[in-house]
Amino acid sequence: MPAPGGGWLTAGMTTRSEGTGISVQGLTKKFGDFTAVDDLSFEVAPGRVTGFLGPNGAGKTTTLRMLLGLIRPTAGEALIGGRRYAELPQPMSTVGSALEATGFHPGRSGRNHLRVLAATHGIPDSRVDELLDLVGIPAAARKKAGGYSMGMRQRLGLAAALLGDPDVLLLDEPANGLDPEGIRWMRGFMRHLAAEQGKTVLVSSHLLGEVEQTVEDVVIIANGRLARRGTMDELHGDPAVLVRTSDPGALGHALESAGLSAALDQEQGPDALRVGTGDLRQVGDIALAAGQPVHELRPLRTDLERLFLELTESPEHRNRNLSTGQEAA
Amino acid sequence: MISLVRAELRKYFTTRLAWSMPLAMAVLGALFAALQGLFLAVIGEFPSPDGTMIEPAAMFGEDAVARLVYTGAVQMGYLLALVLGILSMSGEFRHKTITATLLAAPRRGQLIGAKLASIVVVVAVNALAFTAGSILGGAITLSIGDLPLFPDPGGLLATFARMVLVLVLWGLMGFGLGVLIPNQVVALFVGVGVTLLVEPLLGLGITFVDQLADASKYFPSQASMSALDLFAGIDPSLAQSLGGSEDALSWWVATLVLLGYAAVMAALGWILTARRDIA
Repeated sequence: MPAPGGGWLTAGMTTRSEGTGISVQGLTKKFGDFTAVDDLSFEVAPGRVTGFLGPNGAGKTTTLRMLLGLIRPTAGEALIGGRRYAELPQPMSTVGSALEATGFHPGRSGRNHLRVLAATHGIPDSRVDELLDLVGIPAAARKKAGGYSMGMRQRLGLAAALLGDPDVLLLDEPANGLDPEGIRWMRGFMRHLAAEQGKTVLVSSHLLGEVEQTVEDVVIIANGRLARRGTMDELHGDPAVLVRTSDPGALGHALESAGLSAALDQEQGPDALRVGTGDLRQVGDIALAAGQPVHELRPLRTDLERLFLELTESPEHRNRNLSTGQEAA
Repeated sequence: MISLVRAELRKYFTTRLAWSMPLAMAVLGALFAALQGLFLAVIGEFPSPDGTMIEPAAMFGEDAVARLVYTGAVQMGYLLALVLGILSMSGEFRHKTITATLLAAPRRGQLIGAKLASIVVVVAVNALAFTAGSILGGAITLSIGDLPLFPDPGGLLATFARMVLVLVLWGLMGFGLGVLIPNQVVALFVGVGVTLLVEPLLGLGITFVDQLADASKYFPSQASMSALDLFAGIDPSLAQSLGGSEDALSWWVATLVLLGYAAVMAALGWILTARRDIA
């Protein structure tokens, strides 16, 4: 599997300007009685990787599809670089997108699938082969798409998204169906795109852990509405660790003298302390120096993790796709 | 716009349909033209409704017999053209390629224009294969029946041109149907069923209604036959014994009627595609 190398993306396609952002204002979509997306507003800053998170059925895909002009909003607007998708002169050169449930004709090879898309923008076949090399399926792409694995499809979808060397990438659950190796590759790939290429990336996922190492900003939705947005650091809040010991008072004193905040954490039981640091080793060392036993030492969930868990576990946010069948994840 | 047409053509030429359809066209054209030739040229006589024997070559002239033989497969041809038109859009829904297609060509009006243009090209190419097959099958039986193969070359050329045109118009009708019914299997079933079953039955049914008795000649299949102008120079009452109708539309009116159907279906496809949510 080739690592993303430098220089390939800027192979004479477009000259990059300031960077292109995304703006969603009051976006609403109703399918009959069912409100899939409800007055949703957020911005995606140019040149940053933004995670678009929410439980399955929260309205992520519907939002992305409205951004791409595939679904007509009931109200509001979704703009890329200040324009609706259909108004972009060469859309694939501005926005690359890999959506879930994008199909391939089973009798057409992956390479020919890309060649069809390339023809719409006058992109040469050499660029198609370049991208197939990049996503690591140059040989397989000459076989018929009917036999492709999920991972192959994801890679082919990604190659399609990059065809026009776009400023903006919209990726819908790109890790779905990838094996751990593939997920690692995908993460590195996204980081590379944003850091070295300065691309704006909006990546959706229903799993926080899947994207939290990659994204800088987060937009969280639930039930079609905005739940939270901000930078990763803001939403994570301050890191904290939990330490369990036989004499919390004594250990708490030792920690405070070392300059750390420490407080009893009643939720975790009478012998648990919550310490305001992310550094487990430091807490352990202080306990050792103070001669206090450590029964348990682990990082506590951050605010973001707790919020996300609440959203995904509460019954009112259960997967609406399963009950209505009207909206694709 | 040209690049979108190129992409649509590339779509067609990168699947099995690119060779299987022309092959089917040529083979069916040859078979059914030969079958027609078997009756009109090889057997060479058959009983008319009033009991006397009709000898087609003597009665209608060799020109007309050649025309009838070479176009003997036209129903097969326009049905396959209809299928080609249907597949253009319903195939996108069936294989969910419509998402990628619309991302590359989000201005839907342009996409439809490109699809219509590509259907014209694709059906025309297939119609040429079909015509070649028809000529082969027809020529074999004509020569077995000792009839001249191309008695009126200019006239036959015009007939072939009309046949290609009829097929192209059926392809455009199919496009509208494929948009109207995104389920490919249902669309094919409805398209072929209506043409083979519903239209003839309806045509028969309305002969019992005085005010509508004339309407069936405007039906697509009947108009297609008229558009081929097979019975030029033949007494209408004689033409009837060969399956022509007594007061058929003139070929250019029939062509306009087909054009009308194609335009209505394509426009319908246009409007529906412009509004549809692709979820």
